[in-house]
Amino acid sequence: MKGNMMKKLILSAALLASPLFAQVNGKVEVPYVPFPVKMGKGFDAIQTHCLMCHSFGYIINQGRQSKKFWHGKVIKMVEHFKAPMDEQAIKETTDYLFEHYGNGKLK
Amino acid sequence: MKRRDFFKKAATLAGAATVGTSSVKAGITQQPIDTRKVSPLAFPEKRPLIMYSDRPPLLETPRDVFTSALTPNDQFFVRWHMPDIPTHIDPDTFTISVNGLVKKEMKISLNDLKTKFEQVEVTAVLQCGGNSRSAFKPIAGGIQWGSGAMGCATWKGVRLKDILDQAGLKKDAAWIGFNGSEKAAYYETPNFVRELELSELDDHVILAYQMNGEDLPYLNGYPLRLVIPGYYSDSWVKMLSNITVTNEYKKLFFMDVAYRVPDNETESETPEKKFPKTKPIKKMNVKSVIGYPTRDSVVSHKSHVVVRGVAWDDGHGIEDVMVSTDGGKTWTKALLDDGKLGRYAYRTFRHTFKPSTLGKTTIMTKAISKIGEEQPLAKDIKWNHGGYKYNGIDEVTVEVV
Repeated sequence: MKGNMMKKLILSAALLASPLFAQVNGKVEVPYVPFPVKMGKGFDAIQTHCLMCHSFGYIINQGRQSKKFWHGKVIKMVEHFKAPMDEQAIKETTDYLFEHYGNGKLK
Repeated sequence: MKRRDFFKKAATLAGAATVGTSSVKAGITQQPIDTRKVSPLAFPEKRPLIMYSDRPPLLETPRDVFTSALTPNDQFFVRWHMPDIPTHIDPDTFTISVNGLVKKEMKISLNDLKTKFEQVEVTAVLQCGGNSRSAFKPIAGGIQWGSGAMGCATWKGVRLKDILDQAGLKKDAAWIGFNGSEKAAYYETPNFVRELELSELDDHVILAYQMNGEDLPYLNGYPLRLVIPGYYSDSWVKMLSNITVTNEYKKLFFMDVAYRVPDNETESETPEKKFPKTKPIKKMNVKSVIGYPTRDSVVSHKSHVVVRGVAWDDGHGIEDVMVSTDGGKTWTKALLDDGKLGRYAYRTFRHTFKPSTLGKTTIMTKAISKIGEEQPLAKDIKWNHGGYKYNGIDEVTVEVV
């Protein structure tokens, strides 16, 4: 606490002389956004394999899409972003996405 | 047979696209989504903006900000690729490394950047290649941006060329890789690295530590980012940590797979048959966006309404912005600002008109560049799978009472 205060004092003293005064001192905190997530079969797979890297906002932002679209997205994550997913994980996530965020069409 | 029907339907729908059909089936283009509201949640150093994701943060600037040539830092859009972004960087200890095919490897502190190099400024538009992606139907994968994944700022920093000169390029130097500090959740995920060919770099490319007279906000790449005027923002690496000079191009996801368009005359393809050869999106095309009025505006019959907005291209400069208030039947030249912010900046325009009919009136704007490039109608833009480079004539429909 005292250390911090000292640091602050030194920083504000340096402010006049130094061009390195930062607009933000300390950590910035990106807020957590509780996106509305649909529960159901396969949600565990989503939590394990999707939310590790990105928020649920990424998913719902795409709107309702075909099974082919969602499968393509999952494959992209595996091939290009190297998400460690086996065949079963790919199926579970695709099925969940299509069931809850699908447009009813396979293609 | 089915396929033929598909195209027939597409052609009919394309004609209807300007009135906002949403149940379209084939590769067509319409006005981008313009109905999203700002989120009640404010991110660090930002006012509330349109929000798509918190991790990585994705924020869009609302339309009404685009009436002035400079976009305020706290309303400037945000786009990251990876979940792990440094949340604290100490400006006193931060350094940028320069290595690879250089005579002298360097680690430059922020203070050295600010004191030991010539300080330069450039005002330039920063626009995501996927800005307005929501215009493409069927959906082009990616964030479904409206038209606010862009902004314009005065960037202050040091010329990349001056830094490379000091490091001294070796004879076979040909490519430069730029690393940002964002990190993926898995080691195997490709890092966000960009590569530029040395021949592409001119004096306007800078390493910027300041934006509109202030530190870069964290979410816009504090403490240092690459500024490449005229280019889409995927090349403007944020939180720049390392510059590596190489003699050959390395294969990289964010260069070879993402941010690419079909390498053909119209840069287009059909959803069913993707064009096999692609190229990086690189330079921006000519575009304008209306800042006022917006779809929420109510204007008075026979009052003087001043339409305002911004227009830009890749640095050739804006020759004219044409405005139509009768659905595109007649077009009038808007007044342009003096252009003193330079050819890479937004050129603001304004146009006064008196709404003569009650009810809905549609305002359209079309920018024309100094080399004669002009914005096509939304429906005339051809589809591409990444939803990149949309630059349709902008439209806003208001209520006249």
